[in-house]
Amino acid sequence: MIEIDVEKRTGGIGVVRPHGRLNMVAARQLREVLGEVVAGGVTRVVVDLGETSFLDSSGLGAIIAGLKTARQAGGDLRIARPTPAVVTVLELTNMDRVLRPRDTVDGAYDA
Amino acid sequence: MPDPRELDLDLAAVPESVDAAQEALAALWDQVPDLESGVQLRFELALVEILANIVEHAYEADTEPHVRRLAMRVTVSDEALVGELSDNGQPASLDLSDVSLPDDLAESGRGLAMASSALDRLDYSRDDGRNRWHLECRRRTT
Repeated sequence: MIEIDVEKRTGGIGVVRPHGRLNMVAARQLREVLGEVVAGGVTRVVVDLGETSFLDSSGLGAIIAGLKTARQAGGDLRIARPTPAVVTVLELTNMDRVLRPRDTVDGAYDA
Repeated sequence: MPDPRELDLDLAAVPESVDAAQEALAALWDQVPDLESGVQLRFELALVEILANIVEHAYEADTEPHVRRLAMRVTVSDEALVGELSDNGQPASLDLSDVSLPDDLAESGRGLAMASSALDRLDYSRDDGRNRWHLECRRRTT
């Protein structure tokens, strides 16, 4: 089990921060956490990937599921602080166009 | 020739085995301090994708999914990282020359395409009632 922190910030933004490897085991956890955050009324979500040492297609799938859930609720999901492992996956899947990683959590909703 | 470093694992075909495999890989990478980080990332990613594929698909018809095993071997040499995975689950019906990425908002279906682009070589064969995967990432130090 990996640790996933959730922090609610002013401005109605929820920051979700997975620590460690986002593989098929952790992806299930992340999917649940993102669903709970949006169900709890926080629809502007930032997934802070600065502590994510590994990401695979199932972890990426959990982020995309969260994006869709947030958008259906009228909000959005952005990713921030990608590690080299995360960047590798985004580039291999061309998902850097869709998920456009932000440099900082604070600035994730600036543009 | 320096001794190639090797890892041999016998794993249950369950999702948690991916964690066990990655723990073992982390220990192996520690033994190879000059390993290029990009090569290690791409190889580990591809290996995890194939492992996940085996866990998800090869045994989906089993009524007792926890009794099946899979074998994983990783060899590090100066030239390449090589992975061999084998299992006695159902044959995989796939054409590795024709794997493609799904729509942008699809939540699954990227694993094999990603593994294929991350590696220099990915082969699948079925013989002696076993699925066999060969993964190879060349090191670019020379």
